[in-house]
Amino acid sequence: MSSAILETTSTAATMRRNFWRGVWRVMKRKPSRLVGAVIVLGFTFMGVFGPMFYPEVLPRDTSQLYAPMSAEHWFGTDGQGRDVLAQVITGSRYVLLSALVTAVITVVLGTAIGLFSGFKRGRWDTVLMRLTDMKLTIPGLPLLLVLSTVWSFGSALEMGLLLGLLGWGGVARAVRSQTLSLRERGFIEAARGLGLSTTHIVGKELLPSMAPYIAMNMLIAVTGAVYAQVGLFFLGVLPYEADNWGVMLNLSVFGGGALTTTAALPYMLAPLLAILLLTLGIVLVVDAMDEIFNPRLREE
Amino acid sequence: MPGQAPGVRIDGLTVVYKTPAGELPAVRDVALTLEPGTITGIVGESGSGKSTLALSLLNAVQPPGRIAAGSVDIDGLGDVVGLRGEELRKARGKHVGYVFQAAQNSLNPLKTVGKQVLDLGRSHGVEDLRGLVRDARELLGRMGLDGARVLDSHQHELSGGMRQRVGIMLALVLNAHLVVLDEPTTALDMITQANILKIVREVHAERGLTTLVITHDIGVVAEVADRLAVMYGGRLVEQGPTRQVLGDPRHPYTKGLIRAIPRLTGDIAEARALPGRPPTLTTVPERGCVFRDRCELRMDVCDTDDPAAVAHGDRIVACHAVKVREHA
Amino acid sequence: MITGEGIVKTFKQRGNVLGAREVRALRGVDFAIPKGGAASFIGESGCGKTTLGRIIAGLETYDEGELTLDGVPMSSLKPKQRQPHFRKIQLIHQDPYSALNPTRTIHQTLNAPLTLRAKQTGRSKAWIEERAAEVLSMVGLDPGSVLARYPHQLSGGMRQRVVIARALTVDPEMLVADEAVSMIDVSLRLGILALLKDLRERLGVAVLFITHDVATSRYIGDDGELYVIYRGQVVERGPVDTVIADPVHPYTQSLLSAIPVLHGLERPGEQPVTPVESMEAGQDESGCLFAPRCPFRGERCADERPLLQVTEGIPQEHACFYPERRSVVARPMSEV
Repeated sequence: MSSAILETTSTAATMRRNFWRGVWRVMKRKPSRLVGAVIVLGFTFMGVFGPMFYPEVLPRDTSQLYAPMSAEHWFGTDGQGRDVLAQVITGSRYVLLSALVTAVITVVLGTAIGLFSGFKRGRWDTVLMRLTDMKLTIPGLPLLLVLSTVWSFGSALEMGLLLGLLGWGGVARAVRSQTLSLRERGFIEAARGLGLSTTHIVGKELLPSMAPYIAMNMLIAVTGAVYAQVGLFFLGVLPYEADNWGVMLNLSVFGGGALTTTAALPYMLAPLLAILLLTLGIVLVVDAMDEIFNPRLREE
Repeated sequence: MPGQAPGVRIDGLTVVYKTPAGELPAVRDVALTLEPGTITGIVGESGSGKSTLALSLLNAVQPPGRIAAGSVDIDGLGDVVGLRGEELRKARGKHVGYVFQAAQNSLNPLKTVGKQVLDLGRSHGVEDLRGLVRDARELLGRMGLDGARVLDSHQHELSGGMRQRVGIMLALVLNAHLVVLDEPTTALDMITQANILKIVREVHAERGLTTLVITHDIGVVAEVADRLAVMYGGRLVEQGPTRQVLGDPRHPYTKGLIRAIPRLTGDIAEARALPGRPPTLTTVPERGCVFRDRCELRMDVCDTDDPAAVAHGDRIVACHAVKVREHA
Repeated sequence: MITGEGIVKTFKQRGNVLGAREVRALRGVDFAIPKGGAASFIGESGCGKTTLGRIIAGLETYDEGELTLDGVPMSSLKPKQRQPHFRKIQLIHQDPYSALNPTRTIHQTLNAPLTLRAKQTGRSKAWIEERAAEVLSMVGLDPGSVLARYPHQLSGGMRQRVVIARALTVDPEMLVADEAVSMIDVSLRLGILALLKDLRERLGVAVLFITHDVATSRYIGDDGELYVIYRGQVVERGPVDTVIADPVHPYTQSLLSAIPVLHGLERPGEQPVTPVESMEAGQDESGCLFAPRCPFRGERCADERPLLQVTEGIPQEHACFYPERRSVVARPMSEV
């Protein structure tokens, strides 16, 4: 039996290794997932390091306004002669950072409230769910429009914070219903019968079972946040203080007339393409989440 | 009506399932004859392939599974393995009635039982729908239910035993004479089970059916079946008249299975669990006898050769170690 | 010693505007299970046996009566204080597939309660690992090959053994097995039953067996007591073998008559009892609860409810005005 004990002391480390090996196996199963991962990693790299390759203020070339696509300017230039690709890259940091902040807040807040509500039930549940319902009835866009009159959202963190605070309702509801169904399962009842702490039950038994769900919501929240803020900037309700894909869209359409003439078309297409690519990457990765967090699907 | 009961001849039937490890057989080289007018019981544990075998009778094995070889010849229908599309759909219900596993939960919760009878009639092009409903009511009455009330009920208004009867009614109402019951009494209480089994026996005799009962519970087969077939790891390891097989089992698995049943009387020390565990699709050995890992009569030849099913009189056994005696 | 006196439980079902419907799950049940003893609750689904088991395991509350664990009446304690008492009673679920967390390895599953235990008793980490291996060996599993696995990699029988091993980590005084073998392959059921009996003998753990399959309750030991429950009331109670061999209550007789006979190996009892089919609508609240289905009901049954009693010449307790022995159980051919 001593060999068995020796074996188990290192199980934690072995398991962690097995997990990552399993993740790799899941990703390899479909090439589309790898493509998705590469895209998402690419955008992460772009957001973190991209802006470092460019000067604070992008150089203007007044001889080249709305230049077409060329080897020098892959996506042409804008109305002030700045390189479009450079703008997409420097603008990505704001977009991605705020989207990330939104996703984290949405998921952390939504999961916490949903878990607490579903696990405690009773009075707490009623109060929290009424609150959630109220929050869900607040129309997001008009509120944002109102808030934008007093707030300029110069920082990505502020933007992310606001969108996050507006977005957790759906996740909270969904997590709550998951919790309600999971807590009836035998293993949760057994954990309670064994006298395990609530912290353990929620953190170690409930949460991992919901991991694929939460991870999916997080990724989807990223895309949602990108759409929301790009939309705000596009509508022009926010001042152009920040570099942003939405600002680019706004200028290309309302300044360059990209919808009527072809000159500013690349200027409009570049940020659109970036958004599309990011969404695609995320959708492809989401596909793997269920298999990554479910040991049975992971090992097969 | 007797005389209409069809016979069924299954021969060399192999059903494979596609898995990451390739195509694996869930049912392998099974030969089984259902004599007209008899009740045959197939007993097997989880993963024995018994439900797959039952589905093959309707050529209803769903992908990733497929019938890879063999034939299922039903009187009046021919070889159903060759049937496709519309022909197949018509055959189900009209010739072969099927009571699904967990029939208690296979009713549409949004429609009354009566509406579901009408749906069934329409999809099979029945002209006389009024007559169909009358038949349904009579069948339910025959099974001890208030037919009119049940036809007006939704699933949630019926108890488990009542739903099971509705399942049997739906299988019979189109006048099928070959009926397959998959785990007809699982999840039912003992008293309800006894009643359902009684009904199966009586309806079988009255309507002149050929019946196949699939179950994990030898007791169920012992109560209703004329013939008993034992499945293990996708193979039919033993078959014969029920009383003979129960009274004098030949295959070591049948022996072990009967010995493993907790009984109400007799010496409890005699009952023993079989060692090991039943194989799954992926752990069934490719060569040799499927039961050898749990067998007390294992010999060298069992590792390499799959024992052939050898018939001696009424009894058929597939085991190297058993020399089947001639049975009078 | 675990005793219950007059346990009553009523479930209120959410009804319509006219008010809620009440379902009487338990109508004053008495029981006593000695330390290291064995008992079995049998009856059809919905008879209240599972509710009673859950009350005993502390997973459900009761409305009236008193549950006493080792001399401590539970109603005298606040809910928080009851927990350590109820931890001594571990429930083995019917479904070993949902009783284990699919995202956690067997090692993790066993470590959680053991870590808690080690903290309470000041034991070392090495003890946890040792004990995890020990409880697995106790239930007949090889720790080396099982610990690192996930539940889906084990068979139903192995999972149920892991569930029992997990219950053993808290050194329970009683295991409550609720239909613990009904979802396990037939050829392996006896293995689990034998394991429970073995744990009883080796560790002195009491076993409470809740089942609709009377035959399995024989396998927990011949000193066990059988409680036959019908609609929330105990209708017959006595030593397992006595009740099975000579049942006197018509409901017990119906249950035993309904067990399939292995024709060819056994011959059926001479006086089988077939009750009237249960119709949900006919839930009569006055008189004997079983009377509407009873083939032998007499005059008194309609108005008066028989209580559990001892009458002359009958060794077991029963709740019937007209008790009579009937030969309902199938016997092996070899015996006749």
